[in-house]
Amino acid sequence: MNYVEWLRVRNLLKIVAIVLVVLVVLAVILRISVSRYMSPEAWVAHMTHDPGTRVANTVLPDGTKRTIIDDSTERTHVIIDDHGYAGKHIVVTEPSSRAHSDHSHINVGSIRVVETNHGDTTTTVIDTNGSVPMMYYMAIADVVALIVATILAAPLAREIDGHLEIALTRPCSRLRFALGVLAADVAGIVAASVLTVIAFYVCQLLFESARLDFSGINARAIAMGVMMPLAWYAMLCAATTWINRSYGAVLGFAWPVAILVGVLTLVHPVNVLALFVHDIAWVISRLDPLTYVSFAAPNDDGTLDYASSNFGLRFLVEVLFFVVYGALAIVKWQRVEA
Amino acid sequence: MSDMSIAITNLRKFYGHTAAVDGFSLEIPGASVFGLLGPNGAGKTTTFKCMLGMARQSSGEILYDGKPLVPAMFERIAYVPERSVLYDWMTVDEHVEMNRRAFANFEPARANELLATFNIDRRKRARTLSKGMKTAVMVALAFARNAEILVLDEPTGGLDPVNQRHVLSLMINEAAKGNSVLFSSHQIGQVERAAEHIAVMDRGRLVLQGLVDDLKADRKIVEGIFPDVTFTLDGIANDPHVARADRTERIVRLLVTADANAIAARLSAAGAVGVRVLDLNLEDIFLYAVSPATATTDIVAKESSS
Repeated sequence: MNYVEWLRVRNLLKIVAIVLVVLVVLAVILRISVSRYMSPEAWVAHMTHDPGTRVANTVLPDGTKRTIIDDSTERTHVIIDDHGYAGKHIVVTEPSSRAHSDHSHINVGSIRVVETNHGDTTTTVIDTNGSVPMMYYMAIADVVALIVATILAAPLAREIDGHLEIALTRPCSRLRFALGVLAADVAGIVAASVLTVIAFYVCQLLFESARLDFSGINARAIAMGVMMPLAWYAMLCAATTWINRSYGAVLGFAWPVAILVGVLTLVHPVNVLALFVHDIAWVISRLDPLTYVSFAAPNDDGTLDYASSNFGLRFLVEVLFFVVYGALAIVKWQRVEA
Repeated sequence: MSDMSIAITNLRKFYGHTAAVDGFSLEIPGASVFGLLGPNGAGKTTTFKCMLGMARQSSGEILYDGKPLVPAMFERIAYVPERSVLYDWMTVDEHVEMNRRAFANFEPARANELLATFNIDRRKRARTLSKGMKTAVMVALAFARNAEILVLDEPTGGLDPVNQRHVLSLMINEAAKGNSVLFSSHQIGQVERAAEHIAVMDRGRLVLQGLVDDLKADRKIVEGIFPDVTFTLDGIANDPHVARADRTERIVRLLVTADANAIAARLSAAGAVGVRVLDLNLEDIFLYAVSPATATTDIVAKESSS
């Protein structure tokens, strides 16, 4: 691995780590601030304001603290099983209202809410300690990884711009030098993803015992989450190496251009000009690794079909982009002269 | 220690239609200090770049001990470019570490010792160093490599006189150890002090080369003043040892490459009075090689005033 590039990567990772530590500190402050609202006692205190509410507290044989709230006025019955750090299981039985559908199922992070209508009553079951899909973590990690990839994505152009005499008078081939540089950056991008996942996991642990779900779509999310920033990095690396004197502009405009092209592909071809713009943008977008990020295809009813998303093909395209764009950068590097 | 020699044969390098180096051939012996001189744009740096594989020659051949350059040879070849190529954001210590990792023979202790000699604070980032300090860092790193060939492009640029002298001493020490130093400089006094051999380039071509002492011993200016302007040189200007003849009214000045006294005698026999034989220093020789008219005027003016 190239020492100079690794120093660059290390300095950038320090900044990433500082930002993530600040986030964790903020999460600690938040956790301390909301701790009094997270106990069942707070719920009970809120509900016992209603006259006629009865509250019973018991401890089950396994140590679970059970609180039963019976509000005869509102015809609401609540059972809260507090498993401590392992989460809560809450069952709320209350009169049905128009807001309640027959059956609904909502997942927000580790919280799962299942609501079922039984004639004039509705039962809502809340579990606060479900497993967290890894794809949520990867979505956040990818944002960080893409930023890191964009910052690092001109390693060879930086060498060409002022340090070629050092780079080209080493006792190693140009190919080996370039591979060493790219390897350092790849390690840095992956490390940024891992640091982000760890930081956000720590944040979650502050609130609950989080269980991560690596199965099914989450495995795809991890694979794509690792590969896509690397393909994006390789694309910018090729561009900056070929346009080495303006590598700062390439990096600076990469995101705006990628977003613009993405937006232009959505242009409805209402006339010849719009059709032309749409087609050009569509062709350009095929070269952008961000275009192929998808885990599932939408069905007509709004649900997602994970089976028919061509994930394998899309992932393969990302791998190909990484290899081909990386090779393009190296080809230019092989030809460069001081 | 090794006497690694370099042979450059008919080197040509074109940028578009412009020849930066045009048919340059040179043998650089091992265990010596070799000075490459030339005016700006003569092709010295381009020659170095071609020698080190940083620029591809359009034609010609460069051999190190009879073999073409391969990357592994950079364990034995060190290069100091004329401008700073240090990483501005890295400390001097990090540059030392970079070299330690890159080169098997690099001696960090030697580098630190040289940096201390140049009064360089190793904790400083390169961006905070002056031009001369950056040059000193590059020189220190190169000399700590234990390389058999050192190629130094203006290695004293920006250095103060004390450190300039120190760099020259380092170069001479390397040659004494059996290593080769090839360097370029516009400061001819330094070249005269350090180099045993010189080559002079002009417009991409080799115009002069040889041992400094030989060049100085052989080359003289013979000046004669004739009583009137209607004199003839009786074929003296066509003598094979007369490299150049300048005539200004009654005064004739001849650059001779050998047998100066014989030429002076012939000039006297032709009727010249006040015939003088003037020594040349390396600067005079350089100027004669690249700009003869300037050289003649300058040399005679110096002699007249002394």
